[in-house]
Order: sequence, then C-alpha cells, then structure tokens
Amino acid sequence: MAMSRLRRREALWFYVFVSPWVIGFLAFLLGPMVSSIYFSMTDWDSFTPPKWVGLDNYTKLLTEDPVFWKALGNTLFYSAVSVPLGLLVGLWLANLLNKQVRARKLFRTLIYLPTLVPLVAASLAFRVVLAPSGPLNDVLGWVGIKGPQWLLDPSWVKYALILLSLWGAGSATVLLLAAMKGIPRELYEAAEIDGAGPVRQFWSITVPQLTPVIFFNLVMGLIGAFQVFSQVYILMPKASQPGTYNASQTMVPYLFDQAFSYYHMGYASAISWLLFAVILVFTLLAFRTTRRWVFYETEVK
Amino acid sequence: MATLAPTVAPQRGGQAGKDEEPPGGTARVLGVFKATPFTYATLIIVSAVLSVPLVFAVSIALSTDHTVSTNAFTILPHEFEWRNFTKVFGGDLPMGRFLVNSLIIALGSVIGQMVSSGLVGYAFARLRAPGKNVMFLVVIATMMIPTQITMIPQFILFKDLGWVNTYLPLIVPNFFSNAFNVFLVRQFVSRLPSELDEAAMVDGLGFFGIYRRIMLPMLWPVLIAIGIFTLTYNWGDFMGPLIYLNDESKMPLALGVQYITTTAVAGQPPPWNLVMVGSILLTLPMIAVYYLGQRYLYEMDISGGSAGVK
Repeated sequence: MAMSRLRRREALWFYVFVSPWVIGFLAFLLGPMVSSIYFSMTDWDSFTPPKWVGLDNYTKLLTEDPVFWKALGNTLFYSAVSVPLGLLVGLWLANLLNKQVRARKLFRTLIYLPTLVPLVAASLAFRVVLAPSGPLNDVLGWVGIKGPQWLLDPSWVKYALILLSLWGAGSATVLLLAAMKGIPRELYEAAEIDGAGPVRQFWSITVPQLTPVIFFNLVMGLIGAFQVFSQVYILMPKASQPGTYNASQTMVPYLFDQAFSYYHMGYASAISWLLFAVILVFTLLAFRTTRRWVFYETEVK
Repeated sequence: MATLAPTVAPQRGGQAGKDEEPPGGTARVLGVFKATPFTYATLIIVSAVLSVPLVFAVSIALSTDHTVSTNAFTILPHEFEWRNFTKVFGGDLPMGRFLVNSLIIALGSVIGQMVSSGLVGYAFARLRAPGKNVMFLVVIATMMIPTQITMIPQFILFKDLGWVNTYLPLIVPNFFSNAFNVFLVRQFVSRLPSELDEAAMVDGLGFFGIYRRIMLPMLWPVLIAIGIFTLTYNWGDFMGPLIYLNDESKMPLALGVQYITTTAVAGQPPPWNLVMVGSILLTLPMIAVYYLGQRYLYEMDISGGSAGVK
C-alpha cells in the first residue's frame, strides 16, 4: 500500500531528525565495534600494518597471561563486594532517614555530599586519607590496630577501592529513600495491628517492596564496577609500585595499559571483548535470578 | 557508586521539600517510623565518618608548604594558608588554564547532547516511519555495549583525523546524541498531550516548525536534566582526556589536578596543598550544579521510582 503524501513527508522528516543518531551509531559505535573484532585478531602496534593472528590473542590471554587472570579476579572481587555492600549500607541508612528524625535534611546532605565529589578529586583525597600515616591509620592506631599499607600492599589495595566506593553509598541511600516514600502507609498500619515489630516490618514490607529498585541498581552497579578505572589509576600510580603493580591490577586499567602504554592494540581489543563477555554473563545471570527474589506489585492479584 | 534509575514523568508542581514532612502528614507516628537514640547515634557517627575525607582535604588545602614537606597534616585545619587559593592561578601552575579547558569541553558536550538528543528523541516519540521500531530497539541495545569496546578503534579514527591533542574527540561525539538521552526525551515526549502538535499540523506548521515552536518550549525540563548529566560526566571525565590530551595547556581540571601529582620532583611529595585546592575547585561547581538543578531532577522524578525497571 502506497503511503499518502503526508505520511511520506512525515517519514522523511523522521529520518532527517534521527540522522544524528544514525551517523553517530555508524561512525562511533558499529564501525568501531566491527574494527575492534578485527583488531582483536591481529598483532598491531598502530604504527605498522596489522598482522593477522586469528584467535591467538584470546588463547594467550586465557591460557598464558597470569596478569589477565589476576586482573579478572581482582575486578570480580571488587565488584562482588563493593556493589552489594554499598546497597546494603544504602538500605540501612535510608531506613534510618525514613524515620521521623530531626535535622533529616542535614543528615541526608552530609551522607549525599561525597557522591557529588568528582571521582578524580575523591581518589586524590583517599590517597592522603589512606596514606600510611593518614587519618584512617591514625584512628586504627587509637584502638591498637596497626593499619596496613592500604595503597602499597597488593592484598589491601582491593579493600582501599571498596572503602572509596562505600564513601559514595549516599547515592544508593537517596535513591532507596525516595523509593521508600512510595510504599503505602496502609501496609505498615496493617502490620502494626497484626503485632509485627519494626524489624519484622523492615524485612517483610520495606525490603520486598524495594526489590525492583535494588535489583536495577545491583545490575547497573555491577556493570559500572567491572569497568572501574580512574580510582585504580589514581590511587595506585604505576611509578610508585613497580613490583606490586600487576598484583593489584584490574581489567580496564590493564586494557588501558596494554593499548596506550605498550601499543598492543590487538591484545587490548581482545581484552575489551572478554570484559564485554564477563559483563554480559553477569547481567544475564542477574536477570535470570530475578523471578526468585524481585517482587512486583502486579504479581499480587 | 550506584547509578540513578531515572523514570520520566512530567509532573505538575514541585516535589522538593515534600519529603521533609513526616510520613503520613500529621497522623500518629507508626512504630516503625519512630526514631530512637540509636537512630541518632548511628546517623551522627556515619555523617562524621563520611565527612572526614572532605574535612581532611580542606585542611590540606589550607596547609603551608612546610607542613606538606614534613607530611604533618591534621584532620581539622590548624593553619589557614588562604594564599594557596590564589597561588594556583599564578606561577607555573596552569590551574586557570585547566578550568577554562574544562569549561570548553563540558559546555561543548552539553550543547551537543541537548541539541541532538532533543531532535532524535522527539522523532522517536512522535513521527511515524517504516523501520522506526527496529531502530529504537537498536538504540536500546547500544546501551549495553561497554565503552571499552569502541575505545581503541575510536582512538585510531581520531588519530587518523589528526584530532589527537585537541578537544574535538571529547566534544564532537556528543553532537550525535546518545542512547540514554534519546530514551529520556522519547519517554518525556510520549507523555505530553498530542493535541498541541496535531493542532499545529492542522494550522499548516511543518514538522520542524512543530518541533521548534511547540515541542522545544515544553522540552526544557528533560533537556536541562540531560544538560546536568552531560555536564557532570564530562566535567569529571578522566579517561577521555587521559587518552587524547598530552599537552599540559590543553588538559581539563580533572586530568590536570592528577597530572600535578605526577610531576613532583623525584624524592619529594607532590604539592598536596595545591592538589587539594585543585580538587576543591573541581568539586565546588558540581555541588552548585546539583543544588541549582535539583528542582529539574525532581520534576523529572529522576529520584528513582521503580517504573524504569519493569
């Protein structure tokens, strides 16, 4: 069926209007993605012509590169701890702020303020906070604990990164607090009549009602955490720890290093696809398990 | 750090301040909402702990060079070297230059996203054309691609264009919209009443005229929200400038302030007081933007209902 003149004109304008996205998609996304697949199968320093090596980069990464596995392990550990922990802390603080507290706005501001600090500034501040004789180790010293070399000891670096991410738990707090305001008051009234205490009400009403928000932020948080870069790059400058640098490596900084310090463009491209695979697997996993624990209002008839 | 889950719904009236009222207005306080001394103790301790890095950063920013070289910092400021705040703008520290560079990159990106995402989002919401739904699925799918995949080929592309060590690789891609912003605008437009643009069509206004005269004035809340997101992201972006900018005179503040820590003379600590002044200069505009823009973010109900998840 032929379209009317008006419909044809409308369609034409549609294509004109979306052309910025189409051009951007082709030039900055699809094109680069296809070339990235090709690069990942070459040995290439970006100056001389690329040399085709097939799947060599991938097999080398997966079977012969201990730094890659170390970086993957560190990244998974960081993500698996920092994201759920951040949400838990956020949930706990939001629950407190949802009560009738005086000066709630002040508390909320103080908790949220760290999330407004750009990552670079936050990382630089943490470099001094976590210094061997910085405030954190001072406080630990008061209670008789000898603080570790947070940023130099590879077994502690992960925890330094987790501390920095927990400092930003305010964003989860504010988000969950807003969602808590949307829970109908009648649910709590009914529960109180039934004799349920505050703790029981928290676990039986508040948490189930919030699971969709928690789930969304869990998945988004994991995706973000897998891609951690600036914090690692700034907290652990390569020059300061040549010996331990690889032991505390994570995925994206490793990729960055391979690409822009050593010009291993092919190898780095292969890392990026493995990173994508990891992100994809975890996202799908999160979605597969939703039915078991995410509560949607519409399920209740 | 956790991500915002935006759900877009144009709303009448401001939401700000609403949450200051007790749950349920003046009604009796339910047991679960009663604050105990334990509630206050926890909130006070948590707020204090979270404030330590900020207070410590300010304390370092106000330290003398001597304190820096002896590493004798205290959490609470004990000296007030305000000169540090003027020192960073003179001498061989190009902090002023860094700030100007940050502004150029961030504002260029904001303009690009506001112009392009508005057009594209409107088209996806209102105009009918063959292939539109498939295209929109592609838009959504692209949100899943991590930037690291395209990072290297994009670098090669911009290198071939001779754009390395210019602002262009950081600004220009923003003129081609991005999936997330397009999604925001589309959701926003599809909840606006369609009588207005239909009436305009009957009056003989063309599609571009409808967008410019009818739509654009109504789109401001969502465009400002996009502007805030874009500004925040590009102001704080570290990896992009790190890849593309080598000249100190071209670096934005986020990169420059880190760069200062790497240029210290061997064996000496970085000028931490000036680094912290730079970090504060990097942070203050973000706090200002948040407080000025809060109203728009509330209006967009960006604070995280669950609709975006379903």
